[in-house]
Amino acid sequence: MAAVEIPQDEQAFLAYVQAGGQVETADWMPDDYRAKLVKFIEMHGNSELMGVLPEREWILRAPTLQRKLALTAKVQDEVGHAQLIYRVVEDLGKPRERCLADLVDGKAKFHNVFHYPTKTWGDVGVIAWLVDAAAIISQKALLKCSYAPYARIMKKICWEESFHILHGRDVILAMVTGTPAQFELVQEALNRWWGPLMQFHGNPIPKEEDPMYLWRIKSQGNEEARQQFLEGYVPQIWELGLTVPDTKLRRREDGTWEYGEPDWDELMHVVTGHGPKTDERLAFRRRFLDQEQWVRDAVLAA
Amino acid sequence: MNELLLGLADDELVIGWRDSEWTGIAPLLEEDVAFSSIAQNEIGHARAVYERLTDDADALAFDRSLDEYRCAPLVELRLLDWGRTIARRWLYEVADEIRITALMEDPDVGGLAAKINREEAYHRMHAEMWRERLRDEPRFRDAVTELWPYALGVVLPAQREALAARVALDEVEAVERGSHTDDFAPLWDEMTMVRRSAPVGSQW
Repeated sequence: MAAVEIPQDEQAFLAYVQAGGQVETADWMPDDYRAKLVKFIEMHGNSELMGVLPEREWILRAPTLQRKLALTAKVQDEVGHAQLIYRVVEDLGKPRERCLADLVDGKAKFHNVFHYPTKTWGDVGVIAWLVDAAAIISQKALLKCSYAPYARIMKKICWEESFHILHGRDVILAMVTGTPAQFELVQEALNRWWGPLMQFHGNPIPKEEDPMYLWRIKSQGNEEARQQFLEGYVPQIWELGLTVPDTKLRRREDGTWEYGEPDWDELMHVVTGHGPKTDERLAFRRRFLDQEQWVRDAVLAA
Repeated sequence: MNELLLGLADDELVIGWRDSEWTGIAPLLEEDVAFSSIAQNEIGHARAVYERLTDDADALAFDRSLDEYRCAPLVELRLLDWGRTIARRWLYEVADEIRITALMEDPDVGGLAAKINREEAYHRMHAEMWRERLRDEPRFRDAVTELWPYALGVVLPAQREALAARVALDEVEAVERGSHTDDFAPLWDEMTMVRRSAPVGSQW
């Protein structure tokens, strides 16, 4: 295969990625592009890792052996994704140890949904079904990422995430067809998660103004992703007899979804490290990171 | 025989539950993944053995009262530090190998035991690798000493001499199966809380 000539000038590089061109680790890239990549991909890795904590305690409470196995496998996948993603960040110049240290020091971000509590088994279902559904929409938009190594691992990640959605839908299905109290657990969880889910894809800035789109790190705008989520999942939610807690939600004739304005202040507040569970979860990770430092030292010394 | 199998299955169930406690907080991401994988295998083994004993493995796993569980005290202990966790994993895997190998001779359950044994081989490699890494660490050595009486309780009295020889420790008085440690009640409470929240027989 003939080597593609990567333009070594910022404007030409921009034109190259905007025309669908991809770059590899060893290729020249503008500093700004590299910095944006690290920021974006590191946040993704952090989110996979922090996404484990809302589910971890429920692994111990799973009500059947099958659910226990499925949830353990799902969470295992997520840690595996974090591992893969941090390797991509490492190749771009930031070692995993530093990512993990910045994370517990509150210097790095992770997705809004992982700052909230998981109150019941209903939340476990909603997370696995709808949070993962929202996430897979974002992740599919990375399959065409201009940074080729990231695009490549996204294939594996998207494939695994699609199983999580099936697991989540199955958990929800068992409960909505169960006792009225079980149905109510799902409805209450949906009420709690709807706000964060609507904030998940970010505020509706035009994609041309989104630096991550400009560099073709992602290939769709925030609102496009949210519309895709609504189109794909609201009909399914309704079909199960559940109520979406948004009186303005409706599908227009042209297929566009209208909805009540998400709380963007809440999103900003949460992702800057002020969510209801942010401190507790970071402290929990920090505690074990410190407590088990001797293990890493022993392994490195060997 | 059923009593023996129930003890084995309960051990696998409970250690699977305990290993899950490292999810998200293991000292290395690689170990987070490894512990999830081991936990899934152990739970899978528990389920396979329960299915030999009953038509409803979930009911057997979750719907008994506390004093009906036959697990060894070793697996009940809540050990959220890596030195003791690895000491338990290593001692448990060696004890489990002795027990499973003996069961492989049994005409009724030999096939099932052999199947379990094939997966356990990976757990043993994992435990041995960690033991090699930590063997000179005081925290690990102290943990082995602390947990040794519990490890003896995993196997039958006739198998204890072999276990002591394998791990190069002197036989001491075992912490026997049959009564529970203080750590078991909170674990049972947690593992059954969602299930108990709906009437018996509800689907989950």
